[in-house]
Formats: sequence, C-alpha cells, structure tokens
Amino acid sequence: MSNLIFLSGTDLSKKYGDLEVVKGVSLAMNTGEFVCLVGKSGSGKTTLLSLLSGLEKPTQGKVNLDGTEITTSSEDELALFRRENVGFIFQSFNLIPTLSAWENVALPLFPIKMASKERRHRATELLDQMELKQRIEHLPSALSGGEKQRVAIARALVNHPKIIFADEPTGNLDSDTGEAIMDILNRLHREKEMAILMVTHDVELAKTANRLIQMKDGEIVS
Amino acid sequence: MNLRYMTKELYYRKRRTLTSMVGLSIGIALLIIVNALSLAYRQAARVPLKEIGADITIQRSGNVPQELTGPVFPCSAVTIRKAEVEKIQKLPGVRGTGTGLLLWVFDPNRAWIVLGIERKNSVGPSVLRSSVTEGRFLDGDKPEAVVEQAYARQFGIGLNDTISVDGHPFPVVGFLDASRAAKIAVANVYLPLEEAEKLAASSKELQSVSPYSPGDVNLLFIKADQEKITGLASEMKSILGKQATVATPDSFLKLLGSLFALSDKFTLAASLIAIIIAVLIVFKTMAGNIAERAREIGVMKAVGWTNRNVVSQLMSESIIQCFMAGILGLLIAMVAGYGLSFMKVNIPIPWEMSPTPHFLPGGGDQIFKTLRLPVQVPWTLAVFAILLSVIIGGLTGGLLGRYISKIKPAEVLRHE
Repeated sequence: MSNLIFLSGTDLSKKYGDLEVVKGVSLAMNTGEFVCLVGKSGSGKTTLLSLLSGLEKPTQGKVNLDGTEITTSSEDELALFRRENVGFIFQSFNLIPTLSAWENVALPLFPIKMASKERRHRATELLDQMELKQRIEHLPSALSGGEKQRVAIARALVNHPKIIFADEPTGNLDSDTGEAIMDILNRLHREKEMAILMVTHDVELAKTANRLIQMKDGEIVS
Repeated sequence: MNLRYMTKELYYRKRRTLTSMVGLSIGIALLIIVNALSLAYRQAARVPLKEIGADITIQRSGNVPQELTGPVFPCSAVTIRKAEVEKIQKLPGVRGTGTGLLLWVFDPNRAWIVLGIERKNSVGPSVLRSSVTEGRFLDGDKPEAVVEQAYARQFGIGLNDTISVDGHPFPVVGFLDASRAAKIAVANVYLPLEEAEKLAASSKELQSVSPYSPGDVNLLFIKADQEKITGLASEMKSILGKQATVATPDSFLKLLGSLFALSDKFTLAASLIAIIIAVLIVFKTMAGNIAERAREIGVMKAVGWTNRNVVSQLMSESIIQCFMAGILGLLIAMVAGYGLSFMKVNIPIPWEMSPTPHFLPGGGDQIFKTLRLPVQVPWTLAVFAILLSVIIGGLTGGLLGRYISKIKPAEVLRHE
C-alpha cells in the first residue's frame, strides 16, 4: 500500500429535497488501501459510497478518482469511467436472472468490442479463482447466496478495476459465508493491492480493513 | 447490442415474449387479411372484363325494336358511331380497343344471339379463341361461323354444317364452350365482324331504331392504363352521352356489395385499428417488462453501460421480438388466406351487359360470374407487414429504452 492519494472526496453533501443525507464530508483513500465505512442504517454511508464511486452526483463538493475529477463528468462519461476503473459488489448481488454465471461476470464486457471467446475466457478464469468452475453455466436461481456473491465479486473484477466499492457485501449471507466472502476481499487487497471501500454496519467485519471510518447522521464521526 | 444477452432475455422471459409476440402477430395477421381480402375482391371484380381481354366495356342504350324480325340491336346496345370509336381510341391512357357487334336475329324458326367479332384482336371477344373445343376459330376471310357448343347440341348443329342466319349461309367451322368465357361475350353464333356488319346494315328494322353504317359497332372493349381507368370512364361517358353504359372493374366491385369491396376507407380503418391494438399490446407488455428490469438496468449502468448501450440492447430485443411476431402474423395470415380462398364469390353481371333477350326463357334472370375468391398475400404486403413490425419494435424499444435508460443506478440499487 502506497501513500499516494487515490480517491478523495472534498466537502461532499447530498440532499434529497430538504433532507441532507451527507453533510460536508471530506475523505481520502490511498492506493491499495482497504477502508471500511461503518455506521447505523440511515447514517449516509451508502450514499457516500455512491458519491465517491460516481454512481451519484453530489449536491455540493468534488470527487477525484485516480486523478480524474468525476463530479463534472456527464452520465455517459461516468459510465465509461466506471467501466474502466471501478468494480461494484452489492448486498443483493444484483445478478441478471436470465444470464448464466459466466455471462453475469462478463456483463461489464458486453458493450466492449471483444471476441466472445475472450469474454468467456476472462469470466471463466475469474470464476475458477472463486472456486465456481463447475457452476459457470448455471443461472443465478441455481446458485446459493455465497455462490451468487462470489459471481458478483468476479463480475467486479472482470474489467481489472483499480478500486472496488462494496456495499454491505455480506449483509444477505450467513456468518460463515460472510466470512468466506471477507476472506476473498482481504486476499484481493493483500495479493493484488486492490483498493477497496466497503460499507458495512458490522464493526467486527470492518476490523479486517486498514482503516475504519465511522458515520453518523451524514457526517464522519471518527 | 449483445446477441447472447438478447436471446437469453427473450428465451427466459418466455411468457412476456409470447404475450407480446402473439398480440402483435394477431394485429399483423388482421392487417394482412383485411388488405388481402380487399385486394381479392378487387381482383375478382376485374375477372369479367379480364376474361375478354379488356379493362373497360362500353355500350349505349337505345329504343326497343318495334318488331322482332330479322337482325335487331338489343335495346341495351345500339349504335356507337365509327367517329366516336376513333375519338375514344385517341384518349390518353387508352392502350388498345376491340369492337364487337351484338345482334339478335329473329328468323322464322329460330332466334339467334349473334356476335360479330374482330378475328385478330387481342382486346375483346376474340379471346374466345382459347375456348374452342372442336374445329377451329374464325380464321378465314370467307363467311363462316363458330357455334356455342351447348346451343349446337340443343339444335343438332354439326361441324361443317351450314347454318342460315337471316337467310345468309354460314359454314360451321368450330364449336366453343362459352361457359368458360365471360358472361358478357356469350352468344349462340360468332361471325366475323364484317359479316355481322352486313347483317346489321341490311336490316330495315334495325336501321329504323338505330341508324347504322358499316364501321359502326355496338360493343366497345378498351384496354387502358390501370391508374387512368376511372378518369377514362368519365371521359368516355361525356363522349357517348347519358345513354352510355361504361363498365369498369369498379362497377363490378360496387355490385359485389362486400364491405371490403366497397370501401377503401373501411380497409384502412380496419387496418389502423388492428395496428393500434397491436401496438398498444406490445407497448404495454414491453413497458411491464422494462419496468420489471429497472434494477437490472441500474446494474448494467453501474458496471459501465452507457445510455446508448442500454437503449440499443432494449431496442434490439424489441425489434427481434416484433420481427418474429411479424413472421408469425404473416404465417397466420397465409393460413387464413388459404382458407378464405375457398370462398366463392358471385359477381352480378348488369342486365345491360347480358346478351340474352330478357323475354326469352331465362333471359331475365340475374346472371352471375361465380369464382373462387382469389385471396393471396402479395409479397409487397408481406414485406410491408414485416417492415411495419420491425418499425413498431424499433419505436417501442427505442422510446421505452430512452425512458428507462435515464434512471439513476444509485436510485434503483439503493433499496436493497
């Protein structure tokens, strides 16, 4: 992990009508750092993750990701930026129900001009790393919760992202499976020096991160 | 657009795909059938004239003969002057003309319906050449006759016999089956036009009712440019006056009385209703499908799909779905069209055009040309229907795709 600032949010605010969900938050992450955002439900952590990842634009403030100011980018520019630099893992896995495991992994690659074989090769390789080689043709409905999340992790990695944003990745899993998923994330961070920003309400899980940021009522409290 | 994703969406969301496809295919099938039926009636209406190689026939009504002796003109077909014929021949859009002279000849022992025809003209009753069943058609320059075979059988007329019409001898050179021919060119005896002209010119009774000179006729057959038929018909009426009967395919179409035959507007309205219903079904089904996929689309956008990527994916799904619906609709229409082609249609022949004297037994009966409704799906209609399906697919997919692609991924993914 180097001390170069890779992701920074400066004076970020987000309002929905009169409700201010994130209030003037500033935060920075170094290259290869694993940071956990913790806080109770409604504390604004998921919104902050959306702002930092470019899924949502702040009402106020700036986000700089790997040297690019993303707050001023258009929607399509943001989509292309996410395609090349960012991986997402969601609490509900968000797999496409009509696509098989490998096709779900390859989803970010579909809009890219690329040989179908190459797409399949990249997806299968990642599923192999997630120990899902036997499940590549299975639909999400035939997978367990843990398997689905591993497919989602593979999907987050398929575009060789510089950072992974994980929103409660273990929230829908039992504790054993959750631990297994955390092991994978830790391994990715350790072995590939992947920057990870994870949102969780589970302080025990968050302890495995390099840094822990606590949020309350839209503000960072520690 | 990703083909694999598209096919899987269509395959795994079978119910929605099928609902949308069946809805549109029924609409497309209705559109094709309504138009094919309308075309079939139009085609059927052309048959009576087509059978005598014409697009328009012209007659002129006149007075009833005082006495029925010797050759007379039917009151529905009196003299059309040579000068009038020449005027008509010069009208723009007239591609060819044929003439005929229809006579009723009342001999002491027999009444004949005699038709004088131009032997070597492809327009008009000389097309009866193909209806010869025995002997030959009128080919020589000498006076000769071809007799309708049922009539010959009834009166025991044999091939090479000589018949006497108004005291003039005519060797019988052939028989023809008039039942195969147009009802409007049916006669008992067919003579060369020049011979019929001689009979007409020498008849005092005929001259007293309708003055006649050789070269004049009483039946005129016109071949014309299809798009000019209606205009030509009114010009011809103005040349020949109020007494003229100008028959076009439209005249027969009106007599058919079917809604499909009567009104282009009905066909258009029925087609539009079919399409609007189909579009609404497709729109509703696809809107439901896309709304159901909002989260999925949010994920696609989160992992880097641009709005354009999303729209093109949804549009291609919709186009393929509607294209398949178009093909299905075409197949349904073809099967239905085949079934409908067994339907018989009776085309009434106006009494003025019936050559049989109405005072003879059966002469006053309404005559019909009965034929199978020629329902076909022309390739232009098929291509139009498929193209329309694809356009509906493109527009529906495009509109809904544009709408749904504007969702913010964070909004749909927030609610876990």
